[in-house]
Amino acid sequence: MTQSLVSRVTLLAQEESAPSLGQNLTDLAGSATAIFGAMTIMLAIGMWLMLPRGTDRGRRTGMILALIGLGLLGSRLPGLATVLEESVFAVLAIVTVAACAATVSTRNPLYSAVWFGMALLGTAGLFLVQGAQFLGVATVVVYAGAILVTFLFALMLAQPGGHAYYDRISWEASFSAATGAVMVGMLAVTIGNAAETLPVEDSPQAAIAADETLRNGVLSDQHVARLGGQLFSRHLVTVEVAAALLLAALVGAMAIVTQGTRHEPPDKSTGTSPGPDAPLPAAENPANRRSHTGDGGKERARHG
Amino acid sequence: MVESELALLHNYLLVGAVIFSIGLVGFLARRNMIVMFLSAEMMLQGVSLSLVAWSRFHNDWGGQVLVIMIIVVAACEAAIALALVLMLFRRAGKLDVAVWQELREANQAAYVDHEVPEEVEPDTQKWPRLTPAGVEPDVDEEEMLHRPHV
Repeated sequence: MTQSLVSRVTLLAQEESAPSLGQNLTDLAGSATAIFGAMTIMLAIGMWLMLPRGTDRGRRTGMILALIGLGLLGSRLPGLATVLEESVFAVLAIVTVAACAATVSTRNPLYSAVWFGMALLGTAGLFLVQGAQFLGVATVVVYAGAILVTFLFALMLAQPGGHAYYDRISWEASFSAATGAVMVGMLAVTIGNAAETLPVEDSPQAAIAADETLRNGVLSDQHVARLGGQLFSRHLVTVEVAAALLLAALVGAMAIVTQGTRHEPPDKSTGTSPGPDAPLPAAENPANRRSHTGDGGKERARHG
Repeated sequence: MVESELALLHNYLLVGAVIFSIGLVGFLARRNMIVMFLSAEMMLQGVSLSLVAWSRFHNDWGGQVLVIMIIVVAACEAAIALALVLMLFRRAGKLDVAVWQELREANQAAYVDHEVPEEVEPDTQKWPRLTPAGVEPDVDEEEMLHRPHV
């Protein structure tokens, strides 16, 4: 879209017999380096402003900057086959990316979990646009449970009264944001260059032939049956490995949760056990820890 | 290669890259362990999008099978990560990862937390605004000086 606009501007400029001006305009606006550079800087600053920094100032500015950066990135995207396909893709992509940014930048972990659920719905929609029906449904079904559990955890472990201090600050927010933005910029340039080198044949016959191939392949009518057939024939070992992995994770999670509860002797004199159930608010304080583990009598005396 | 298929691949790879990078930023920057876990899952989502795009581009089921594998790994990760988060929360009483910096290498300097300004709750209560009434009394400056401050 931008390119057509630029070429039209160039044409107009050439008609007015000012080719140097038009050439300069094309060079400036059309050069991918300038656009990707500006995008990277805007994304970095926008992400940095959106991350928790101990203050809420500049969050809205950050959102606007990040949106402009994403718009610059979107202006370089090649158009899809039909307008409908393109608009569906655009809506889903914008929803997904915005929900992801909100997950990372919101202060409340509860809202983070909810925004991540939104991002997953967007991803599932993107899967469906690609024709991966099973994956779209599986993402929603599997992750809905995971998100619900995460939500419960956040609810359970939430700090009463406002946001916890560690939700209001970040580790080196500026460096992190710059890392992410540079990564987006580099990947965008690399993907764009790679796509330009591939040969393109744009004839109706080729399109029909490609469509036919896809209909016999991944866009088949019997999508789930074909995917299952592939999964249990060519990728049978993968299924076995996945089963082993799930079992190991189950056992591991139980081992982690039950670890530590075994070695705590019950405190008979008070009837309460100073086990891991009791919150130890200052466990990192060595003095406090000594009184908790070593000097049980003193502790009990203070309790009684 | 048909142009629209190439464009589809290009767009999906870019969206996947953006989602992966946002997850990376979240994992690097945030200190809440639950949010870090969500960011890691987000990176997996970005990779899944790229894999599905490649699967369609090459007309091969391998990419989609790999995404099923990613979902399995993500489920395992959720189980173990949440168990770990629960254990760490029980020990420290907070979800801050900085509590566990004792586990750093011996030659690394300790991270010193800078002071976080207290959160100010915005006063959303609607208070009635009273109009001043009556006569303002004369101010005796002598008396003002000797008046005991209560």
